[in-house]
Amino acid sequence: MSPAAKLTLGPVLYNWPAEVKRDFYFRIADEAAIDVVYLGEVVCSKRSSFFEPYVPEVSERLARAGKEVVHSTLALIMNEREMETVRALAAAPDMRVEANDISGAALLAGRPHVIGPFVNVYNEGTLEVLVRGGADRVVLPCELPVGSLEVLGRAAGNAELEVQVFGRLPLALSARCYHARAHDLHKDGCRYVCEEDPDGMALETLEGDGFLAVNGTQTLSHTLCSLLRELEKLRDLGIGCFRLWPQSVDMVAVAGIFQGVLDGRDDLAEAEARLRELVDIAPFSNGFYHGREGADLVAAETFSPAG
Amino acid sequence: MSGTPLELVCPAGTPGALRAAVDAGADVVYLGFRDETNARNFPGLNFSRPELRDGLAYAHERGCRIYVAVNTFAAAGNPGPWHRAVDDAAELGADALILADIGLLDYARRRHPETRRHLSVQASASNPTAIAYYHEAFGVQRVVLPRVLTVTEIARLNVQIPVETEVFAFGGMCVMAEGRCTLSAYATGRSPNMNGVCSPASHVRYEQLGGRMVSRLGRFTINEFPDGEPAGYPTLCKGRFVAGGCAGYLFEEPTSLDASTVLPELMAAGVRALKIEGRQRGRAYIAEVVAAFRRAVDAAARGDPVPPLGLGGMTEGLRETTGAYTKTWR
Amino acid sequence: MVYRWPEVAGGVNHRADAPVTNEPNRGTPSLSPVLLAGFALRPLPLVLLQPALDLAMTLMRRRHSDVFERLDTLENASFLIDPVDLPFCFTLRLGPPAPRLSVVGNADDMESPSAVLRGPLLVLIRLLEGRMDGDAAFFSRDLAVEGDMEAVLTLRNAVDSGGIDLAEDLLSLFGPLNGPARRAFGAAEALFARAERDLETVRAAFVAPVDGRCDAQTARLRDLEDDLADLRTGMPRANAAGKRAARPGTARP
Repeated sequence: MSPAAKLTLGPVLYNWPAEVKRDFYFRIADEAAIDVVYLGEVVCSKRSSFFEPYVPEVSERLARAGKEVVHSTLALIMNEREMETVRALAAAPDMRVEANDISGAALLAGRPHVIGPFVNVYNEGTLEVLVRGGADRVVLPCELPVGSLEVLGRAAGNAELEVQVFGRLPLALSARCYHARAHDLHKDGCRYVCEEDPDGMALETLEGDGFLAVNGTQTLSHTLCSLLRELEKLRDLGIGCFRLWPQSVDMVAVAGIFQGVLDGRDDLAEAEARLRELVDIAPFSNGFYHGREGADLVAAETFSPAG
Repeated sequence: MSGTPLELVCPAGTPGALRAAVDAGADVVYLGFRDETNARNFPGLNFSRPELRDGLAYAHERGCRIYVAVNTFAAAGNPGPWHRAVDDAAELGADALILADIGLLDYARRRHPETRRHLSVQASASNPTAIAYYHEAFGVQRVVLPRVLTVTEIARLNVQIPVETEVFAFGGMCVMAEGRCTLSAYATGRSPNMNGVCSPASHVRYEQLGGRMVSRLGRFTINEFPDGEPAGYPTLCKGRFVAGGCAGYLFEEPTSLDASTVLPELMAAGVRALKIEGRQRGRAYIAEVVAAFRRAVDAAARGDPVPPLGLGGMTEGLRETTGAYTKTWR
Repeated sequence: MVYRWPEVAGGVNHRADAPVTNEPNRGTPSLSPVLLAGFALRPLPLVLLQPALDLAMTLMRRRHSDVFERLDTLENASFLIDPVDLPFCFTLRLGPPAPRLSVVGNADDMESPSAVLRGPLLVLIRLLEGRMDGDAAFFSRDLAVEGDMEAVLTLRNAVDSGGIDLAEDLLSLFGPLNGPARRAFGAAEALFARAERDLETVRAAFVAPVDGRCDAQTARLRDLEDDLADLRTGMPRANAAGKRAARPGTARP
């Protein structure tokens, strides 16, 4: 039997108002069956300052509730100011940090840290190098198929592996802000229009099909990844941590559903039905896990969760 | 002002293109093997081992160097093809390897310490700390900068790093940070990072519907063109989508990068080499674009104004942009 | 799965009257009435062209084996190659035993090709010889493609990889050093000679003074004239790159 699985909550990727975010984390601290919580602005450095005043009290409350708190760095670091935020995190010896750019991993070398999903870890060679550098948990890129997860699961040694099992898939990063562009604004004078879309701005094809979601400089999937049905297999492969990306739904309830399945308490089909009822933002997908289009949903009957 | 000419690094997808690039004045030709180990894994393109050997001979006889791109990310559990690509390129005498995968950089450093290692744009190293890491950990001697930086940022970067920089000067343009984009995999199941293809032809369809042409990638409509409008590839990020009720090119118009107008600034910013995109393009493109940039680079080195290149016909959507090099692009 | 570049006012309009349809179709070229007339009045008997095409393919496979090696992955693909300014089309079938180039009276004669390539003959020849960039031709709507894009791309990349030079490859057969070949393919020679005369007619159509054309088009015609002159004389193109370098605008007037 694999060690106890951890349910984790990735950083909020969207520009939620700071107070909303604070209250969200308070509720997670008080109510959610979540083991690890990642905090911090990953997408756009212009947003970083809003939530910073709340970080100490939020981290404290989460820690008091027995949750491991990890501070996530920016994913795309292009200037000195952005680099400085990473340096500040890396310089705080008592902080646990998730590096979302290789520069973060370099600064954290020699002490335990987490490698975030925006660092490209596709194979055992890369995993070994990063673990040698001090990574004790590696969050894998969302596009890895089960075959790769299996190999990495065997190669990870003492390091934990984390896989995203719920939420929109983070597909791309850019220097350009598409939220601003969509509103005919320049990035420098963006008026923080991204705040209007708590799950990203819907992007449809010309024929009206949901396709992508824009979150400032980030592009995500329209569909929400759900690997509820794949959880058992993932555990068998040696994946120990399961990431839920925050969306504007009842995340405490979402966490409860995943925890119920992880514990083997709840019936899978029932849990899936409850999740579907709870999350009406967009359809689910699991294609990347099955080595197909990320947007695909491989139906339950076409694969066996144990196989 | 005058100075050392920028090194002109030119693409080749076939031996014919390689000869065209060498003959047109390339300082360096970069290329890849005919498989998933490089980021232009297109059907009918790229080099066999004997073709690389012949290409190396042709280039070296004419004072031109060859860089081999092994710039996708090795598949978990199957590093063989990537290791062989590195081994063969090094053993055949490639002048540098262009790598992105940390595991592969580590392999190349251990097995072929004498072969120069360049960091591919696919590694998306956009800051001095990241670049210093690749230099210290894997002995990388040059970094190809991601197309996200302005000229000012490049200048600032160059004084802080111990390695040479190479920047894109012309051709197709990623609007996303390279190596950190899975949009195409989301729509097609074929991944730029793992399979070396973006918006692959195998998943492209065109349909004529009434007075408009519709282009699709996988099951998603990427664009449609009413009659009378020029068009481009159905590359996902150059597609037309609807946001907030408005249809438009949300990410980027069909356009090509042309940095020829900022060559003197790039030189002043301390850039060492200019890269032309287009390993998938034909010999005619290579010959024309390389010759034009040869003139431009030489003019810039003499301190002369860079002449207009007249490459409009080679660009996508017949439009050009200086892209991220100017801040207004963002 | 049909795609054709839309026509644009002011461009080189090869198919002004071609209706937009989802069936492959041939428009009547409006640029070159004389060109078309030259062929229409003296069409080559299509059946007589076949030996010449077989010979051409044999020659290509011998001289450019690398091109065919790149086509290996396509296996059973078939292409309809439609020069819009000729009264017939070519078909290229890659399946075993060997790739075969044939000629058909019209586009409908080929059942469900993998892909269709359509453009003026000289654009197609320049693409075949790698003297024109396929993407650029595509962007400028000089080339239309339909069907299996992977097959099209493979063919394009394969053809572009080799140093194909039609004039050198084909007409060299009749050079003084190729006596035996020349005798062996005596029948074909007559066809080539006739084809040459037809091409001369084409050339005359193109280079005849054209009133009121814009400068860009004039430059384009001059370029086509050069191409034809090269084709006629079978002159090696060792200096082709130099010529292009001297006139950078000519590949895309």
